[in-house]
Amino acid sequence: MRRGLILALGGLMLAGHGPALAGDPEAGRKIAVMCRTCHGIDGYAQIPIAPHIGGEPKEYLETQLMAFKTGAREHEMMTVVTAGLSAEQISDVAAWYASHSATATLPDGVTAADAPPACVSCHGADGISVLLNAPNLAGEVNIYIDTQLKAYRVGKRKHAIMSEIARDLTDQEIRDFANWYADVKLEITPPQ
Amino acid sequence: MQVGRLCSALLASTVLVAPAAAQDNMDKLTNMQKTDATFTFVEQDGERAQALKAILEHINVPDGFEVSLYAVVPDARSMAVAPQGTVVFAGTRKDKVWSIVDRDRDRVADEVKDFAPSVTFDIPNGPCFSRDGFLFIAERNRVLNFPAAEFFFEGPDPAVAVVVPQGELIPVEEESFNHTARVCDVGPDGKLYISLGQPYNVQPLEKIEMYDEIGIGGIIRMNTDGTGREVYTRGIRNSVGQDFHPETGELWWTDNQVDGMGDDIPPGELNRQTAAGQHFGFPWTNAGVEIVSEADFPRPEGVEFIEPQLELTAHAADLGMSFYKGASFPEEYQGGIFWAQHGSWNRTTPVGARVMFTALDPETGDATGAQVFADGWLDEETGEYRGRPMDVAFLKDGSMLISDDFAGAIWRIAYNPAPSE
Repeated sequence: MRRGLILALGGLMLAGHGPALAGDPEAGRKIAVMCRTCHGIDGYAQIPIAPHIGGEPKEYLETQLMAFKTGAREHEMMTVVTAGLSAEQISDVAAWYASHSATATLPDGVTAADAPPACVSCHGADGISVLLNAPNLAGEVNIYIDTQLKAYRVGKRKHAIMSEIARDLTDQEIRDFANWYADVKLEITPPQ
Repeated sequence: MQVGRLCSALLASTVLVAPAAAQDNMDKLTNMQKTDATFTFVEQDGERAQALKAILEHINVPDGFEVSLYAVVPDARSMAVAPQGTVVFAGTRKDKVWSIVDRDRDRVADEVKDFAPSVTFDIPNGPCFSRDGFLFIAERNRVLNFPAAEFFFEGPDPAVAVVVPQGELIPVEEESFNHTARVCDVGPDGKLYISLGQPYNVQPLEKIEMYDEIGIGGIIRMNTDGTGREVYTRGIRNSVGQDFHPETGELWWTDNQVDGMGDDIPPGELNRQTAAGQHFGFPWTNAGVEIVSEADFPRPEGVEFIEPQLELTAHAADLGMSFYKGASFPEEYQGGIFWAQHGSWNRTTPVGARVMFTALDPETGDATGAQVFADGWLDEETGEYRGRPMDVAFLKDGSMLISDDFAGAIWRIAYNPAPSE
């Protein structure tokens, strides 16, 4: 049931969401100097509270940055950062990080079949997103994923699919899902 | 003694009334049973240690001091040195607490492994000891007590008691990742003091009163069994460093300031609290800078805002602090305060990533002024960090430990005057 719903909604999201601006990765690289202390210049996070964003779908990054800018999503730091960025700059910096490629390797002793079924149709078994508007989860700090799932569960963060999925999860399920993706090895390669 | 009795009583009662929900291994541990948990060891001699040692040449310390690598400790945050001095515990903003052991006392750690791997930790940033050896760990939304942790850390299943159950430190709706790194200390009154950062840049007006009542954006204190909770400090934005003056018993603490107002405001803060319940101004003021106006939201009645002792470089992120109670540093440092500046994240020119010091005026007891004690973790040319000091603590020999959650290390600074010729 739940999986069917996810796939249906996922399909809608994919169809209904196109990039607003092309985005210039080179211009974005200069903006990324603002991001690097937390997210790294290549998008490999430098601190636990920040997610890896190198090789993320541009559409996802752009949507989230605009959500911070408009107040639809709130974060102590990102709300401040995005307030000073234009829509074009957001598109550029999203293009910079999206121009990297992310590759994921499952840890020894598990296979894709062991991945949490509730997550795989959007985020992939290895945490590399299979949708334009879903983030990669590979190698994220478990507490980052844990925090986001709990934010969806209590309604602080809202999303058509994620709010539904997170609503009935227990703390233990949340941590298990988070651990699955945290244990994946992520590599980010800059554009050639 | 009193703490000991309280804890024994608490342990006994926990055994009798085991919690119904088995989140992790807590049921087994509170009943002193074994789990199948195993340790994670951190290699101390490999490439990582070599890479960290290469940072040392960049670190500047005053004449007569030496800096060295004490341990490789991933994500090392707030530290607590055990009463016997054999083991140091370091929290993280992830899910590990590390035990760092120097058995041969050569001032280099021999073994680093995770503490209590049987417990599912959630941002266990803040470890602190009572004088009689109970280790408290303040997590995002729970506080645990590990009796005799200095001895039980050798096994994966140390005895544990719950001080504040999961979800009862703050309302779960107020949980965040940022500004959720708790620090704790056991005060001279034997009570447990825990800082609770408020999760926003500036909290929304409609949350001001609720936060004030709970102590979010403040420091709370409670008995070590979790009873008698009260708000001890009001009007803080996000404090991640505190210590008690060893003689007066006054609580001093650092604060982190509002972002997005410009590179040079508001200044960072070092604060001195002389009485319970004092209000330090946030969110109305931040180091004297107005944030929320009286017109936006009335100030609480009957309180006078306490001004900071020191106004510090804006956005440098003043975090862990400690009074110097050792004997091996020169006279000028005796009784003063050391603290870590984590370094800025959104300033045009980065600042911080250094260890600061202030002496106290012998007459007034006030801080006399901040000076840089150790720096070089920030590459001034590229603006990139080599490391980011987060907390300072002291070994029994009076030497300083500095945790670094960026490099994943604990550094040591010792005073070793060259022999006179």
